[in-house]
Amino acid sequence: MTLDQLVENEKAIIKKINDRNLALQLLSMGFILGEEVKVERIAPLKDPILITSGANYISIRKADAKNIDVTKSS
Amino acid sequence: MSNTKSKNIILIGNPNTGKSTLFNSLTGLNQKIGNYPGVTVDKKTGKFSINQIKVNVIDLPGIYSLAPNSEDEIIAKKYIDEADDNDLIVIVADVTNLKRNLLLCTQIIDEGKQVILALNMMDLLQKNKQEIDIPKFEKILNCPVIPINARLEKGIDDLKYAISSYKNKKNSFLNNLNSSNAIDETMLRFNKINSIIKDCLTQTGENKSYLLTKKIDNILTHKVYGYLIFLSILFLIFQAIFSWASYPMNLIEMGFLNLGEFISNIIPSGMLNDLVVNGILAGLGGIVIFVPQIALLFAIITILEDTGYMARVSFIMDRILRQFGLNGKSIIPLLSSTACAIPAIMSARTIGNYKERLITIMVSPLVSCSARIPVYTILIALIVPKDSSFGIFNMQGLLIMALYLLGIGAALLAALVMKIIITSKQQSTFTLEMPIYRTPRWKNVGFEIFNKVKIFLFDAGKIIIAISIILWGLSSFAPGEKFEEIESKFATQLIQEQHSKQEINSLIASEKLEVSYAGMIGKTIEPVIAPLGFDWKIGIALVTSFAAREVFVGTMATLYSVGDADNTKSIREKMMMAKNPKTGEKLYTKATTLSLLIFYVFAMQCMATLAVVYRETNSIKWPFIQVVYMGLLAYFSSLLVYNIFS
Repeated sequence: MTLDQLVENEKAIIKKINDRNLALQLLSMGFILGEEVKVERIAPLKDPILITSGANYISIRKADAKNIDVTKSS
Repeated sequence: MSNTKSKNIILIGNPNTGKSTLFNSLTGLNQKIGNYPGVTVDKKTGKFSINQIKVNVIDLPGIYSLAPNSEDEIIAKKYIDEADDNDLIVIVADVTNLKRNLLLCTQIIDEGKQVILALNMMDLLQKNKQEIDIPKFEKILNCPVIPINARLEKGIDDLKYAISSYKNKKNSFLNNLNSSNAIDETMLRFNKINSIIKDCLTQTGENKSYLLTKKIDNILTHKVYGYLIFLSILFLIFQAIFSWASYPMNLIEMGFLNLGEFISNIIPSGMLNDLVVNGILAGLGGIVIFVPQIALLFAIITILEDTGYMARVSFIMDRILRQFGLNGKSIIPLLSSTACAIPAIMSARTIGNYKERLITIMVSPLVSCSARIPVYTILIALIVPKDSSFGIFNMQGLLIMALYLLGIGAALLAALVMKIIITSKQQSTFTLEMPIYRTPRWKNVGFEIFNKVKIFLFDAGKIIIAISIILWGLSSFAPGEKFEEIESKFATQLIQEQHSKQEINSLIASEKLEVSYAGMIGKTIEPVIAPLGFDWKIGIALVTSFAAREVFVGTMATLYSVGDADNTKSIREKMMMAKNPKTGEKLYTKATTLSLLIFYVFAMQCMATLAVVYRETNSIKWPFIQVVYMGLLAYFSSLLVYNIFS
């Protein structure tokens, strides 16, 4: 599944980021392959979303979240 | 002195690591610090000395890695690339988020640069009940590691000492650089960083910094409260500018009137008296009066940025702004434009997508800036009495708010048109860090206000005073013997009998102005602007306002002061009494005044903004298009408004 399919407060492990530039940008902002990501909030108009991983807390658009493959963690 | 050594250091770090605060502590120079990624819009430099070594400090915009994603990051990357062995790079890292901060640090080490690592926010680490083994850390990274707390100014001397005693060394972090695949290389880096952190940082305790922040976000990005709070803040801004600021403004207006009277009494009347009182003082008073509004506006915007709130506004506005070809990050430039388009356009650098950044730059000047406030204030007072109200609202305030909304609406509409016209294949993203909420650093807010007011008074003030003097000259002299002809005409007996002495003086003054050089300029463009309801005097103001809008008031002051020997009336009163010489009716009718107001909402009358647009877009094409499209918009809107109301 992809990150945009998660609902608020759901967690998942980042598997793969399909866009190279996005991957580099997210990696440098602390969103690392194999680590846990959590959807903190979905914006009032359903897009963008706020996600966290460790101490990193960013906003990302759904179109970009669609490019992030994840597996849901319990 | 030849025996003093000097060193260059470059401050680098992720956004929101306290880099700029450290810069202030090191150099004592103050500049803008924001809690918003990329608020350091331009290169900041400063100096300090330690142990007879002069150290030059350069502060750069925050970056996440050496793979730049925005204009800001490209600037920082360029400086890192150009640093040689004499340049020391001080990397400022947020110690509560070491993993991410070390990525940039190790990348720079692997570029073969000379590096010192400053670990900032040590107090938060202690609050999280974590500890870090600094000597071990230094050994693994093979570079000096200095714990600091920039906010409380702790560890600054240690850092200065480390800078002064730094010995160059060859260093590397990853042994086999695999630059063919940047993603794999980054993952390798993170693996190594992870093991270092495991070795050097106690893993008990937790990062609590975000707990409160997330709670606040539940309210500030809420689907109802989020927008309500944002609207309330906008309302607060208007309230501040138009209500609270009026008290000090009245005092300043009174002060300048008294000063003018005082000076015109001590300088013997004549040319010099006229120049000082009606040229310089009138122009100067016209700008100083707006200092309270500008100070308040910049204070609010700085506080909103510094607390971290702006990032949340971007977040809840992204979806809406995207429809107009803008980006959530465009909210900073658009909101800052209510103060001044120049810093606003510079802050658009954080927008990674070229098209969105360009559209933001192109439409920002349509949002009414503080320079329009004087024009709005004085014109509205001509058609709406001060105490008239609509329900509980003050009519003047409502009208000003309507003009602001008109500007914002026009900006969005223009953006929509440009979204359709400008083509771009570049993908648009909105990856923006949400900084933790912090109380604003009041000292920095104070310096920000001080700096902005200083720029307004001195940079804009210089232009305004120069133009005031030129205007005074242009309106006080005429080609040939024109002035003498007028005087001899009025000296004849016939006219003397019909009018009182005072009337004759003001008739002479207005006829003189008409034949003066300034009058000639105004008369030349009169045919073009007459359909908008403007006469040649307004024409002069339009010409001079092209340098900067606030010049309008100064121009009006100068034009209507020339010949007013007593100088006892404010500009507003003089304009109110101005008559159309042909019809004898009031010149500033509702139609003319509204038409003029609309013209000032839309027209691109700011040379400084055009210069910045040229610099930021690196092309003459965009400022040119901006002047033309805003000019046409202004002209035809005014034409429409004048015809509706006349």
